[in-house]
Amino acid sequence: MKLSLTPKLSTFLKPSLASTPLRRSLCSSSPSPPPPPISLKPQTPLFLRPPIHSATSSDLQQWQDWAKTLASSVGSTFANSDNGPDSTLLLRELNWLVDDAVQQGIENGQRKIRLRVSLEELYLLWKQRIEERKPFQYIVGCEHWRELVLCVQEGVLIPRPETELIVDLVGDVVKGEEGLREGLWADLGTGSGAIAIGIARVLGTGGGRVIATDLSPTAISVAGFNVERYGLQDVVELRKGSWFDPLKDVEGKLAGFVSNPPYIPSDNISGLQAEVGRHEPRVALDGGVDGMDDLLHLCKGAASILKPGGFFAFETNGEKQCKYLVEYMENEARGSFCNLSIIPDFAGIHRFVTGFHK
Amino acid sequence: MSSFLFRKRASSSRCWGVLCRNPKAESQFGNLNKPPKPQNVTCAVEIPRILDPGSSSFSPKTSKTLSGSLQNIKNLIASGESFGLSSNLGVPVVKSLCGFHGGIATCSLVRFYGAQAAQEPSTADGLTVDRILNSEWSIMAEDESDWKSHAAAIAQSVHLIKKRLQWKKLLVRLDMLSVELNKPDLWNDPVHAGKISREHGSLMGKMKEVKAFEQELLEHVDMIKLAREENDAELESESMKALLEMRRTSKEKETQALLAGEQDPCSCYIEVQSGAGGTESNDWAAMVMQMYKMWAQRHGYKMTVVDEMPGEIAGIKRATIKVDGEYAFGYAKAEVGVHRLVRISPFDSNKRRHTSFAAVAVTPILGDVSAHVQINESDLRIERFRSGGSGGQHANTTDSAVRIVHIPTGITATCQNERSQHQNKASAMAVIQARVDQLEMARQTQKNAQYSQSLTDITWGSQIRSYVLQPYRMVKDLRTNYEVSDPDSVLEGDLDGFILSYLSASLDKDEDDR
Repeated sequence: MKLSLTPKLSTFLKPSLASTPLRRSLCSSSPSPPPPPISLKPQTPLFLRPPIHSATSSDLQQWQDWAKTLASSVGSTFANSDNGPDSTLLLRELNWLVDDAVQQGIENGQRKIRLRVSLEELYLLWKQRIEERKPFQYIVGCEHWRELVLCVQEGVLIPRPETELIVDLVGDVVKGEEGLREGLWADLGTGSGAIAIGIARVLGTGGGRVIATDLSPTAISVAGFNVERYGLQDVVELRKGSWFDPLKDVEGKLAGFVSNPPYIPSDNISGLQAEVGRHEPRVALDGGVDGMDDLLHLCKGAASILKPGGFFAFETNGEKQCKYLVEYMENEARGSFCNLSIIPDFAGIHRFVTGFHK
Repeated sequence: MSSFLFRKRASSSRCWGVLCRNPKAESQFGNLNKPPKPQNVTCAVEIPRILDPGSSSFSPKTSKTLSGSLQNIKNLIASGESFGLSSNLGVPVVKSLCGFHGGIATCSLVRFYGAQAAQEPSTADGLTVDRILNSEWSIMAEDESDWKSHAAAIAQSVHLIKKRLQWKKLLVRLDMLSVELNKPDLWNDPVHAGKISREHGSLMGKMKEVKAFEQELLEHVDMIKLAREENDAELESESMKALLEMRRTSKEKETQALLAGEQDPCSCYIEVQSGAGGTESNDWAAMVMQMYKMWAQRHGYKMTVVDEMPGEIAGIKRATIKVDGEYAFGYAKAEVGVHRLVRISPFDSNKRRHTSFAAVAVTPILGDVSAHVQINESDLRIERFRSGGSGGQHANTTDSAVRIVHIPTGITATCQNERSQHQNKASAMAVIQARVDQLEMARQTQKNAQYSQSLTDITWGSQIRSYVLQPYRMVKDLRTNYEVSDPDSVLEGDLDGFILSYLSASLDKDEDDR
C-alpha cells in the first residue's frame, strides 16, 4: 500500500474547527461542509520570533531582578501544596526565558540588547508564570523534548520527559527489523506531534512512515507546524479524528502503533498540580473513572489495526494500569499478542506496556 | 672580513641566500668547534651525496630551496636511520652547508662532531644557542634595539622550552620509538603500531619545531653580523625586526611547551565538591566554582554548567562545569586538589574565624573517539533525579535531571541543566565516559610508567592551596610557594600565575627525578 501523504497535509493544516469540541462529534471523517474561517495558525514560539524589540541593559536588568525576587518569594509553597516548582526550578526557568527571549550582541563596539517580545510583555509573561501558574512551556511556546524543540501552546498537551522513552522503545524494536523499520506506524492522540516526529527520525530514510492522529484541531495544527519545522512532511501524515477512526484504510497494515492517551482517573483531575489542572487540556488527561477508558479502547483495537508481527507501546498511569492491561491482553485477546512487557520510566514507575501482534 | 662570507640577495623576492664560508676562513673559525671526536668516515661519504640536490641549486636562487634541503637533512638526521647513525650524532647543519662554495662540495669541510656538539647548529662564526645562553648577555627591554639582548632572551626561551619538553628524555624516547617503528613485525598489532607511530610523529614534530626555531635564531644573528660588516642598514633593521618578532613568539612557545601532555589540548570537566562543614563550606565551594567560571571566561573558553547541587541555605554541595577550548585540561589540571579557606564566616553570628575546604577534580574530554573505553549499556543504571509523585501526565515540570551510575566502577554523573531529559542523559553520559576514560588512562599509566608525564593524583588530591581572607590577606600555593597578597583578584579568576608556576615546577621536579 502506498500512501499519498503530501497533498493531504495541506488540508489538515487548515482543519475545520467544530464548535463542539466533543470527541464523539468529531469521530466521523465524513466530508464536512467548508469550515468557518477561524484561523488555526499556531502561535510562534518565543525563540523563533524576530528580535525586533530593544531595551536598555538596565531596564532588562531591572526586569530580571524583579522576576528573580518573584521567583524567590515562591520558596517551596507550590511544591508543598501540589508538587509544583520550587524557587530553584523557577530561577532556572527564568534563565531559559532569557535565553529564548533576549538576544545579546555587540554592534559597533556597543553591547546591544534585542528582544523577541517587548519588555512589557516579559513582565506579563513572568507574572502569568508565577501568579497564574501557567506552565513555562506555554510561556515560551516550546518544549525541549529529546533532541527536539517542539512548538506547544494552550490546548495541546506538553510532552512529558517520560514519554521520550517510547521513541527509544521503538528505536530498539526497529533495529535490525527491516520489516518494521520500513513499515507504516501510527501515533494516536499525537498532541504536539512529539512521538510521531521522534519515531519518524528513528525510522530514518528507509521508507517507513508515520500517521499521527488527533481529535483536537489545535493539536493538528501545532503538530503540522512541528512536522514541517523538522522537514518531515513526506514522512508524517496528520489525520484528524478520534483514535482508530481516521485509520480505517490501514486496518491490519500497521507495523506499529504507539499512544500516550489520557490516563488520569477523573477523580484525580481536581487535585492536579496547578500547571496541569488549570492550563493543560483536560481532554488529553482525563481517562475516565479509573483512567482506563482510552487505554482499553486502544487495546481492543490493537489486534485488528496491527499487521502480524506488529508492535505496540502505550504509556500508562503506573503499575496498576500496566498490570491490568497486560492481564487484559493475555486473557481477553487470548492468543493475539506475545512478548507483553511492562517497562519502567527513569523514576522507576511502571510506565509502559509493550507487546507484539502474533 | 666580509670576504669570508658569501652571500647573495635574491633581488626580487627579498630573500636571502645562505652564508657560505670561504675555505680559507675555516681554520680560523674551525678551532672554535674543534671536534672532540674524530670524523666519522661513513658519514663524510654519505653527506655530500645527500646534499647533492641542495648544492646543485646552491648557486643561490632563493633561500627557499636551501632551507628545504636543510630541512631534509635535519629530517634525516633526526630520524637517525638514513645515516645509519644514532640520532644523537648529527651534523652542524649550517656549517656543513657552508662547506660548499659556489656549488662545489669540499668534502674536507664537512665536519662532524661528537655527541656534545652534535645537535647544535651554529652561525657562521660558530655561535650556538648554548653559547648565546652561556655568554650571559644582558637581556634588556624589548624596545631596546640590541641584537644580543634579543638573542639572549630567545636563547633563554629555547632553553626553557627544551627543559619543559624534557629534551634529553624526548630524544631518547624518539630513538626508542624509531627502533620500534623499524621492527618488521610492528604492524602485527595495528593498535600498538598506530600508537607508536602517533607518538613518534608527535615527538618528532616537537623536536623539529625547536630545531627550526634555533636555526632561525642563528640565521638572524648571522644576518645582523653580516649587515654590520657591509653597513647595510636596511638588512640590519629587517633582521632586528625579525629577531624581535621571534622574541615575542618565543614567550608563547614557552607556555605551549608547558602543555606538552597528550591530553593537555583537550577540553575538560571541572568538578568542585564542598568539604564537611555545612553552609560555610558550601559557600566556599560556590566561590571556588565561580573562580573557575571567571577563569574560563578570561581565557575565552566556552563554559557550560553540567550539574549543580545547591546547598540548603547558600552555596553548592557540588557542581560540575564543562570547559571547552584548546588546552583547557592542560591548564586546569594544575587545580586538582583541596582548596582551603580561612575567613570570618558571614554565616557565623559570633563572627568567628572558620576554615573550610573544597575539593577540585578535573577530567579531560578525549577528542579521539576511538580512544574511548567501550561502555556497556547493561553496566549503567539510569535514574530520574529528584523525582516524586506520580509523574507522567500528572506532573508538569521543566526539571528532567538524570543520574547515571556506571555500576562496575561506581562512577556517578548527574546532569540537570539541559532542557530535555534526553539531553540531560546524553550530557551525564559524556561525563561518565570521560571519567571512565580517565580511570583507564590512570590504570595504563601505572602499568607503563615509562615516559608518560607524571599524572598528578587524578582523584581528589591533597591540599594544594590556602586562601586566607582574615586576619591577613594572602593566597599561597603549598606546592610551589607561589603567593599573592590579593585574594580578590584570584577569586575573580586570575589564576594563571598559580597555574603556570605549578606547571613549570612540576616539570622541573620531573627533571630532577631523572
